[in-house]
Amino acid sequence: MNHNELSLEPRVLADRAVAIKLVGVGGAGSNAVDRLKMENLARLQLAVINTDFQALSSSPVQEKVLIGLGITRGLGAGGDPDLGRQAAEADREKIAKVVKDCDLIFLVTGEGGGTGSGAAPVVAEIAAESGALVMAFVTMPFSFEGGRRLKQAEEGLKALRAVCDAVIPLPNDVLLQEASEGETVLDSFARADAWIGRGVKSIWAMLSKTGLINVDFATLRQTIGARGGKTLFGLAEGSGDNAMADAVAGLKVCPLLHTPEFSRKADRLLVNIIGGAGLTMHKVNELMTAVTEQFGRDSHIQMGAVIDEEMGTRVEVCILGTSDMGRGGNIRRPVAPPKSRPLPAADPAGASPAVTSVTVVPASPPSTPPTRGEAKILNVAPPAQEEFGFGEVESRGTFEKTDRILHDGHDLDVPTYLRKGIKIHI
Amino acid sequence: MSSRSTFIGAVEIGTSKICVLVAEHSGSEVAIIGRGECASRGVIKGAVVDFKAASECAHAALEQAERQAGEKIEEVFLAQTGGHLEGFYNEAAVSVKAADNLIDHSDVRTVCDLALLRDLPFGRTVVHNIRRPFRVDGRMIPGSPVNLVGQRLEVGYWTVHGQEQRLADTINVIKGFNLNVREIVLASLASGYVVTSPEERQHGVLVIDVGGGTTDFALYRDGCAHTTGVLPVGGAHITNDLSIGLRLTQAQAEKLKLRHGRATVQTKDKAQKVWLDGNFAIGDRQFSQQAIEQIVAARIEETLQVVRQRLGAAFRPETCAAGVVLTGGTARLPGIAEVAARVFGVPAHLGEPPVWVAENLREPGHHTALGVLYCGIKAQAEHGQSARRGRGFFSSLRELFTHA
Repeated sequence: MNHNELSLEPRVLADRAVAIKLVGVGGAGSNAVDRLKMENLARLQLAVINTDFQALSSSPVQEKVLIGLGITRGLGAGGDPDLGRQAAEADREKIAKVVKDCDLIFLVTGEGGGTGSGAAPVVAEIAAESGALVMAFVTMPFSFEGGRRLKQAEEGLKALRAVCDAVIPLPNDVLLQEASEGETVLDSFARADAWIGRGVKSIWAMLSKTGLINVDFATLRQTIGARGGKTLFGLAEGSGDNAMADAVAGLKVCPLLHTPEFSRKADRLLVNIIGGAGLTMHKVNELMTAVTEQFGRDSHIQMGAVIDEEMGTRVEVCILGTSDMGRGGNIRRPVAPPKSRPLPAADPAGASPAVTSVTVVPASPPSTPPTRGEAKILNVAPPAQEEFGFGEVESRGTFEKTDRILHDGHDLDVPTYLRKGIKIHI
Repeated sequence: MSSRSTFIGAVEIGTSKICVLVAEHSGSEVAIIGRGECASRGVIKGAVVDFKAASECAHAALEQAERQAGEKIEEVFLAQTGGHLEGFYNEAAVSVKAADNLIDHSDVRTVCDLALLRDLPFGRTVVHNIRRPFRVDGRMIPGSPVNLVGQRLEVGYWTVHGQEQRLADTINVIKGFNLNVREIVLASLASGYVVTSPEERQHGVLVIDVGGGTTDFALYRDGCAHTTGVLPVGGAHITNDLSIGLRLTQAQAEKLKLRHGRATVQTKDKAQKVWLDGNFAIGDRQFSQQAIEQIVAARIEETLQVVRQRLGAAFRPETCAAGVVLTGGTARLPGIAEVAARVFGVPAHLGEPPVWVAENLREPGHHTALGVLYCGIKAQAEHGQSARRGRGFFSSLRELFTHA
């Protein structure tokens, strides 16, 4: 436990047992982590994993791991996912060291390239084996980056969905819609990073700040800890007198939620509200009504409210939902106990997964008792997650269930403006 | 023809609405005496997906039409559309048998039979065989070549074929009302017949019927249909695009499309907003007029471009002197003719039915049903007149009810 880079950990864990780590994989992932580094979030550990030595060396993050030195000679994966995967497979121990002893791991990566699409699923798999809850934020390539990258990205996304608890894709195309006329490439990518940052930050805030109505790690696990479904994630903020109304309106245009309304129904929903000292019950009620109205009245709703003096009149809302999508039901993620846990007793909320145990046997059935009649499917291999309505190929709206109309390799059911990258000012 | 009048129902099962016209047909006269219309359910992109829902709507429309007419419909002419309809061109040539090179009926029959020999893929059935003009020694003959002199007689057919099951689906909807389908007519031909004049068809004209779920098109050259096609993209796609782009429900998007949709981007001011409801109710939202126009314009332009690509070499501006005629419900979008003119490089205008069509039937949404009625009657008349392959393409309409 006394690696240099982890020297902070025991102190961090001493006051709260939830260890959160943000791991950037590949170029895009590292950039996003670098950006977040500036924000200085307490208790959030950062790490980057890359195949490119040069990119790693310029990163301000402390914990940097170069993988696949013997395969890529530290020169990057060159857009080849196979190479990326091999690199990660070759350095499993290094990766295992990075993800060790964490409760929640945010995996940030950009799909489409070599390391992002190839290595990220391996990292996620190792992290899941170590017992952590793995949430992945992934950016999808712009359409103009070409069909090959898109294909790689989708394969990468699929692989990631099979091993992560929640995958939140962020289609860059949607960001293009938001961009103003004169925005530079740098700004556009920064915007993608910023959204990922906001996503990570809001979950971090939810867990690390003690709330009026507290949402703890167990709640989070409860909400997302079932695979084989859709993940819904969105956030928005508002300020001033109409803070609540602004936040609700903001949720409607959040690019992370880029899907038409009819598919935005979640079976389990976690809503977290962060507001200033002036947050009234009335306002909370107003917001919750609007949110549940939109995202599923019948869902199992967990709600959290955090008071942060610094927020002033601002209000931030973060929703996270999952829905079970047919196909043989969802599988409760096998919670493998971690090998050794520092300070297991300091767990105020009783939140972390089952403690102490033997070595990990990843393939074996989970040690936690299966819940809600899911026993019968536990031994089945986890199904790949249902494709979520994001990105180019998937947003077909009402035509979701119909035959595709292909013309020149384009699916004509997908809105033209999306396929052609026409910017829409909402 | 019998002197007794028959009551004919022309039915169009569309994606957005089901339209029924009842006509009294006595010998040479046709009078439209009833109309029924019902919003359509269970039909997506021109194909029946929910038989029960589609049947209920169709039967409601049929009942309404019968009530208005005060008569029972005896037989039905049915419009056909859907992405499964495809077409191909096949031609044949024969040497004229007679010593004096005078073409007779048997030559014509032989060449027609030869041109129709090509087999269809499995599970498909012919909807129409549309004959292109005969050629005698390479010279085009607008009418019948019988008694003309030449050595070589050529003819080609544009064969429209569709999937048997899909065709049977729509026919079974009508059968469920205990009615027989007497004729099926390709929707594009039906509306094309209504909105173009014989002169326009002679000079070359492209009819594009942009409907709710499909865009049907028919290119006429030398007086008859040359190429037809169905693209299963229509107004519902615009609604869907708006719903995804502006994050609205389908119903809201539909409303926005009808109120503020435009086929061209005219609004320059990004800040110009329109209300969703405009009734000052709680929950009303504002949308950028420009965003709406951008989304709609992108779809319309692309749809027309795809039509042009599908037509391929068949469409050339030189041979389409009468330009593009637009019809169908989506043709009501302001500015669509402008876009069509730009895409096809020929003048474009909205289709108008002939002057004798009554005021309440002049809506573009009714053109197909109207066309089905007249095409059907024309075909029937020709079936009655002669058993042999007659003149004009309408005679090659197939009576499908015997196969279905």
